[in-house]
Amino acid sequence: MKFWRLYVAGALSIGILSGCGQPKHLFVLLPEEDGSVGRVSVTNPQGGQVLDQAWQMTGMDSAEEAPRTPRITSAEQVEILFGDVLAVQPQRPLHFILYFKEDSSDLTEASRARMPAVIEAIHARQSVDTSVVGHTDTVGPNDYNIRLSQERAEIIARQLVEAGIDATILEISSHGERNLLIATGDEVFEPRNRRVEITVR
Amino acid sequence: MVWLRLLLGMLVLFPVATLAAEEIVGSIKTVEGSAVVVRDGGLLEARPGIRLLRGDVLRTGENGRIGVIFRDDTLLSLGGDTEMAIEQFAFAPGAGRFGLVLHMIRGVAAFLSGQIAKLAPDAVRVETPVGTVGVRGTRFLIRIEG
Repeated sequence: MKFWRLYVAGALSIGILSGCGQPKHLFVLLPEEDGSVGRVSVTNPQGGQVLDQAWQMTGMDSAEEAPRTPRITSAEQVEILFGDVLAVQPQRPLHFILYFKEDSSDLTEASRARMPAVIEAIHARQSVDTSVVGHTDTVGPNDYNIRLSQERAEIIARQLVEAGIDATILEISSHGERNLLIATGDEVFEPRNRRVEITVR
Repeated sequence: MVWLRLLLGMLVLFPVATLAAEEIVGSIKTVEGSAVVVRDGGLLEARPGIRLLRGDVLRTGENGRIGVIFRDDTLLSLGGDTEMAIEQFAFAPGAGRFGLVLHMIRGVAAFLSGQIAKLAPDAVRVETPVGTVGVRGTRFLIRIEG
């Protein structure tokens, strides 16, 4: 009786992991939370496959076998095979954008009011890696804007440190006018490009 | 000629390797069970808050799990009995430099791609003993039996 049960349990688990024609090594594409689906390719010297539909899976038993023709697996099967690793996926980083007055390192009133939320997020996430990146619009020469965006980032970083954030967790950098939020030509006033972007990881 | 090329190669690589701040690629956010970071041949116990460097290898025990956030917002989590090396990481939009190459030796991993995959889709890949995954985005899973 006991042997019989063991046999069935063993056969079931082998069936889930490697039987039913399922390859030993697996690659599965999942949909995003918003339902959109990305694209990955799986290639080796024997061949290649592209996964571009939700729950599509390919795999092989060894490097000597080409990736198999993709087939659609189920959320249930993915939960059995990958549930524990999906459970430790960290939360997505939090993004904040603070805006500045024209040609200035002074925050707009609305953005100044956002600072407490930034500080709270850094504490709540127990972040040891938060980036503070300064940007400008395209008015003025490039090297002037690199200095201005660096100044903006440093001022925000200083305010965070004054509020009790550990300076060593902050990564400060500046992109000048080379990374616009709103695409414009040169010498265009654009308040939404005068900003510091903070990423709390 | 070969020596000249090697020398030039070293000159190109060396300045990058000495920029400590540039080497930080992300941080560990979650740990369960036993897990370590292999760095410069030594072992560091994995715990939330450890900043990861290029070249680090993440290794979990049978019941271990790790969750990581990279500097470009890529999320990576590893299941039990898994080994993953961070071979290459560059995220410098100002300078137009992008790259993320992971080498998965064995185990189970979940991946949610970040900004590098958006800005430079050909610059992200995961190498495994049975094939290479080219990552255009976004969420995918790998299981490599050891």
